[in-house]
Amino acid sequence: MTIIKVENVSLTYRVLKNRTSSIKELFRDAVKGRVRIQDFVALEDVSFTVEEGEVLAILGRNGAGKSTLLKILAGVLPPTTGISLVKGKVAPMIELAAGFHPEMTGAENVLFYSALMGRDLRKVRKRIFEIGEWAGVTDHMDFPLRTFSSGMTARLAFSTATDEPAEVLLIDEVLSVGDAEFQEKSRTRMLDLIQGGSAVVLVSHDMSAVRRLATRAIWLEKGIVRMSGNPEEVVAAYEAN
Amino acid sequence: MSLLVSRELTMRYKRSVLGIGWTFLNPLITSFVLWTIFSYVWASRLPGDQQFAPYLMAGVLLVNFFNQSVALSSESIANNSGILTKVYVPPQIFPLSTSLAGLANFLIGLIPLSIVCLISGQPIAWTFPLVIIVGVCLSLLTAGIGLILSVLYVRFDDMRNIINVLLMILMYFTPVFYPISILSPRLQQVIQLNPLNSYLDVFRWAFSNNATATLFDWLFMFITSFASIILGRWVFKKFWPRTVAML
Repeated sequence: MTIIKVENVSLTYRVLKNRTSSIKELFRDAVKGRVRIQDFVALEDVSFTVEEGEVLAILGRNGAGKSTLLKILAGVLPPTTGISLVKGKVAPMIELAAGFHPEMTGAENVLFYSALMGRDLRKVRKRIFEIGEWAGVTDHMDFPLRTFSSGMTARLAFSTATDEPAEVLLIDEVLSVGDAEFQEKSRTRMLDLIQGGSAVVLVSHDMSAVRRLATRAIWLEKGIVRMSGNPEEVVAAYEAN
Repeated sequence: MSLLVSRELTMRYKRSVLGIGWTFLNPLITSFVLWTIFSYVWASRLPGDQQFAPYLMAGVLLVNFFNQSVALSSESIANNSGILTKVYVPPQIFPLSTSLAGLANFLIGLIPLSIVCLISGQPIAWTFPLVIIVGVCLSLLTAGIGLILSVLYVRFDDMRNIINVLLMILMYFTPVFYPISILSPRLQQVIQLNPLNSYLDVFRWAFSNNATATLFDWLFMFITSFASIILGRWVFKKFWPRTVAML
């Protein structure tokens, strides 16, 4: 069964050439007849499908359009042209602590984040203690997040994000976080999730992880699919480049 | 959604000692200051049985509700860009929840208003529950405006200043601390065009017969609130794809 279907997706950002976004300057430029808008093509005519049970790795240099593609899959960015269809509940693992608020307590943040992920809050309420415990921040759960160290915040975010299995996982460089001990723990959990998910899209610069986990790979360059197929071959070609 | 509203409410005063008490104190203090100054000037210009203190406080509450909701909801998209660019959440809920939080704040503010009514000897009218209609209409109005401004806010860096100036002008064009009768007939006509004036008339009339609400006021209130929310949602939907790419 096809879980993710991306068809001829293109995305164009409109960028003001001299990024001064004040109305005055826009007006001045318009009067002088030189509104300096430049189209920046982030993705061009990208098509692929992910079948059930597949792990798709996306390779590419910084700025190749990998994160943009993940955002389109997450439904955050609408593509300029083309269609992106995803079946099932999507769990984006992208910059995990982004939804956290420094003034809310650890427990409140866990709840809020889970609500953003569209989870059943009654279930989450019962699990707050376990989530905190797994992250190793049990004693701090009732304090505001601003009193947490950055490592603690990252661990709590990871613990919350990975607490419930999801059908479609979008992973952007968050295979593991924290200190050595926690890294091991989080890596194991992420691997479990990847094996449990019905479809996974993985963005990573860690080639050994891609070789190990992916069943297929896509190599993006400047928004265009340069190569797609067997991960071994794509990684080899990417590394040779 | 309910989580967002309560977050909005509690975060507003999170690190202050008095917490939610500020919801009471803020309008009380503002009204008291305005009262001490203006009661000598204009109190006598109000028709016989109208007390100046509740008249003033109603204006302060309503305009505060409007100003805060518009200012905060126009920032809400930009402030939550971290969430909006990572997880799919219906983006409209950020400006909308700010307006709802404003409504809750307004309803809480009715308590000190009632107290001021009692102290000043202005009887509370049986039409008091109609105040809720004013609150709902005003939150629709601010939600619509907030939806439009939140998109512009992302696009233009100077929106914050423009919004502040416009809100201040609008406040002076609303009869908050002066009776409308002191103005020249011509200026009164201009003020009639300000929708907030109609909201305020209905509000003052509903809670204690403290103003006259005409049919025009009622109609103007309903029309502006519904027009605002419909237009706001339309504009937001239309410009959202371009806005999110700029976050």
